[in-house]
Amino acid sequence: MGRPVSDALLEVQDLRVTFGGDGRGREVRAVDGVSYSVYAGQTLAVVGESGSGKTVSCRAVMGLLPPSAAVTGSARFQGVQLIGLTDDQLREHRGANVAMVFQDPARSLNPTMRIGTQIAEAVQTHHHVSKAQAREQAVELLRLVHMPLPERRCVEYPHQLSGGMRQRVMIAIALACRPRLLIADEATTALDVTTQAQIMELLLELQAELGMALMLISHDLGLAASYADEVIVMYAGRIVEQAPAARLFEQVRMPYTQALFEAIPRLERPAHTPLPVIGGRPPDAASLPQGCSFAPRCRRAADDCRAAAPPLAEHEPGHRWACWHPVGGPDAD
Amino acid sequence: MQTSAAPLLQVQDLVQEFTVRETGGVRGGTVHAVSGVTFDVRPGETLGIVGETGSGKSTLARAVLQAPRPKSGAVLFRGADLVTLRGTRLLQARRHLQMVFQDPFGSLDPKWKVRDLVEEPLIAYKTGDRNTRRRRVDEVLEMVGLDPAGHGGRRPRELSGGQAQRVAIARAVALSPALIICDEAVSSLDVLIQAQVLNLFEQLRAELGLSYLFIAHDLALVKQVSDRVAVMYLGKLCEVGPGETVYRQPLHPYTRALLDSVPGSPQARAKKTIRGEPPSPIHPPSGCRFRTRCPRAEQRCADEEPAMRELATGHSVACHFPLVPVARSTLRSEEKIGEAPR
Amino acid sequence: MSAPLPELLAPAQSQAAQPRGRARGQGRTRNLRIWLPAGFLILLFCACFLWPLVYPVPKPVGGSILNSGLPPLSPGHIFGTDPVGNDIFSRILYGGQVSFEVGLSVTAIGLVIGGLLGVAAAYWGGAADTVISRVLDVLIAFPALVLALAIAEGLGPSELHVIWALAFFSIPAFGRIARSATLSLRGQTFMLAARLSGTRGHRMILRHVVPNIMPQLLTFSLLGIGVVMILEGALSFLGLGIPLPEPSWGSMIAQGQQTISASPDLVLIPSAFLFATVVSLNVLGDALRERWGVR
Repeated sequence: MGRPVSDALLEVQDLRVTFGGDGRGREVRAVDGVSYSVYAGQTLAVVGESGSGKTVSCRAVMGLLPPSAAVTGSARFQGVQLIGLTDDQLREHRGANVAMVFQDPARSLNPTMRIGTQIAEAVQTHHHVSKAQAREQAVELLRLVHMPLPERRCVEYPHQLSGGMRQRVMIAIALACRPRLLIADEATTALDVTTQAQIMELLLELQAELGMALMLISHDLGLAASYADEVIVMYAGRIVEQAPAARLFEQVRMPYTQALFEAIPRLERPAHTPLPVIGGRPPDAASLPQGCSFAPRCRRAADDCRAAAPPLAEHEPGHRWACWHPVGGPDAD
Repeated sequence: MQTSAAPLLQVQDLVQEFTVRETGGVRGGTVHAVSGVTFDVRPGETLGIVGETGSGKSTLARAVLQAPRPKSGAVLFRGADLVTLRGTRLLQARRHLQMVFQDPFGSLDPKWKVRDLVEEPLIAYKTGDRNTRRRRVDEVLEMVGLDPAGHGGRRPRELSGGQAQRVAIARAVALSPALIICDEAVSSLDVLIQAQVLNLFEQLRAELGLSYLFIAHDLALVKQVSDRVAVMYLGKLCEVGPGETVYRQPLHPYTRALLDSVPGSPQARAKKTIRGEPPSPIHPPSGCRFRTRCPRAEQRCADEEPAMRELATGHSVACHFPLVPVARSTLRSEEKIGEAPR
Repeated sequence: MSAPLPELLAPAQSQAAQPRGRARGQGRTRNLRIWLPAGFLILLFCACFLWPLVYPVPKPVGGSILNSGLPPLSPGHIFGTDPVGNDIFSRILYGGQVSFEVGLSVTAIGLVIGGLLGVAAAYWGGAADTVISRVLDVLIAFPALVLALAIAEGLGPSELHVIWALAFFSIPAFGRIARSATLSLRGQTFMLAARLSGTRGHRMILRHVVPNIMPQLLTFSLLGIGVVMILEGALSFLGLGIPLPEPSWGSMIAQGQQTISASPDLVLIPSAFLFATVVSLNVLGDALRERWGVR
């Protein structure tokens, strides 16, 4: 990527997550060898459909997977290995170094606790401050996330707030200890488009203000295009393409990414144009094909695709992809 | 696309409200979900309704179907006012009006097999005998891209999201309806599956001459499938017009805000985002409901509710100060020149 | 079909398939927890009802005093005899018949009558719901034991009267379960979709409501049978149930109580059977509840 890997805030190498299956020996390979780096101040988007492994890989880094998950590989945060840490050790990192905002604020917030209390609790987890000080910080945090009337919000309950406001509270909680890296896992998926725009603006503003790195996990390629510096596309547990956002949208290489682009409804397109569509579904994670996972659905697939999985390699400066017959390559149609 | 035939569906001044009781700190009251909505759907056309959470669009869909009956207004489907009908008469009048819901698994009884699910409307409306019904079920399953032998005996849990939605569509199409209401019908599907199902909608439209009332929160999606687009905010329609025109020359500030908020390209970030939170439908603002977040609002907006006026052919807006393109040649009335669209 | 843990692997959009009752432990032990108790219950049921028909056993009543007090494993009397001379083994079998008869009939009455009332109340709502709910409330307020006492006092103790008394508490119990299950069902989209397809009233109930609340009702039934058996045992223990000298596990325990230090097996044997039956019902009920994903 042009930068020495040692600069990275978070460096993930060959991360693999498997689930034991149902006792009949079927192993589910949710994440199948993922490597990437996140740098301070950078916005990295991880894009993929359901089952691509994007959420599982981030939760593996945060240690949020159930015990039935077998995690191998390396995830170093500023040099410290996160995989294999105990819960107590991870707790040190969570919140202080890496914080996460989830998709559904209705389920992530405790419905029986007031907002102020929940934020204060997050503050007190990492800082030894009195309850009163924690409360003050809670109000400050709400102000940071542009919550109108923060003092009043502090005494309200989650159900009294709208979806957008709840998400702001989640962000406030995540920021309680000024993390170096904020992971937003489908954080705006459940929100309206206007609210989504507000929240995304807020995240970028906070990133600039606090010097955070931001990881956006989403199925929305458009979102990634608009807000990320760097985009990673995942399919069936592997990274299939990675590039700076602008480059990716001008020169997509991996047929899957191209299919994603073409399938998104665009305002510029006239109505009723049939969307170019590929059939089929992502492979069953318990029985991944031998060659390229996308080959069964790929228009450009050839025998070598089915025989061996193409490695993810930096074929052009700053642009990695895993494909034997990329779009726009020598055998372009 | 627009014929001079009578509209298939005419919704006039539809009002739907429901009361919420006071619960733990949130005061109760009347939710004004739909407050006087009027629109038409012509035969063979797709009318898209785009609105965000709280706009009332899903309530609107159910009110059209009388589930439950709206508080007031008229819903004329093929000439018959559904609001005034009861029992069997309502059932018969509603036969050619069907709905596809957002959650493919939620709209299918988990205990039933695919075949029975698709056959259900045929049984309810007593179409033909057992064999005729079975044949129709097979026919319709194939139409939506499913295999009657392979999928017919499965239960919804054994299907993927896309397949389950196809079953729901098959069920909707079984009785050869004239109009299908799609309430966020593709919103919970993955991008690639969504594209497949959208293509299916278009294909069925062409093959069966269907009309759609397509409701969604995604503006690009709605524009993709619709001939005309209506924008809804807090229970009222803001703007109605041909999809392309609404996109290129939006007249209502809310439409403009929606367009600006759609993430799409690295340039999109430069546009302004809308301020504030949507007000509660229990206490909607007086006058124009959008005025609390509108950059163009003035006193008149608080005092007087704007009426829907046709400013260009087929393009109406409910706003005192609509965004009007610089060229005035298409204007029907004297209007204040607003911001030129970007 | 697809990978396990659908929530984790496909979190974002599709509500995906409803998680199929999470497997606590491997598939094999889960099946064991269903088939082992089920097997035991079926065996016990068949033994109680069929054994005396197939294989002659001494009568459970009218034993000769000459035989009294024989210890277990005596020739001809596997479980021995009681102070009056009755064969314990045959009393266990006939007593088991009583337990099953009472348990099953009370539960069946509750399931059918209570279930219907609950579904009707929830499906039609409004006035029907208010009336039925109040009736169920009244029934449930009746303490079963006090009622049984009154009935026994007034009409004399008998198996039939026990069933009546316990039905008073079984009907509202099922009624409430059925009502809440139907209420939560009513808001589901597929119910609306079915109505929009044209399905009406009773067909909705029969083909949509009943199949969807059945898992809940069935698991509740299994647990309920156990409770009813214990209640019958308690009533008989108090002398309000099956009149002596007819056997009942409860009354056997009561009788045995008098000679508990001399011959504890008179208490232990019927207790063990009651215990094993109820535990099997509970384990089976729990396992099925998990299997069917009932909350």
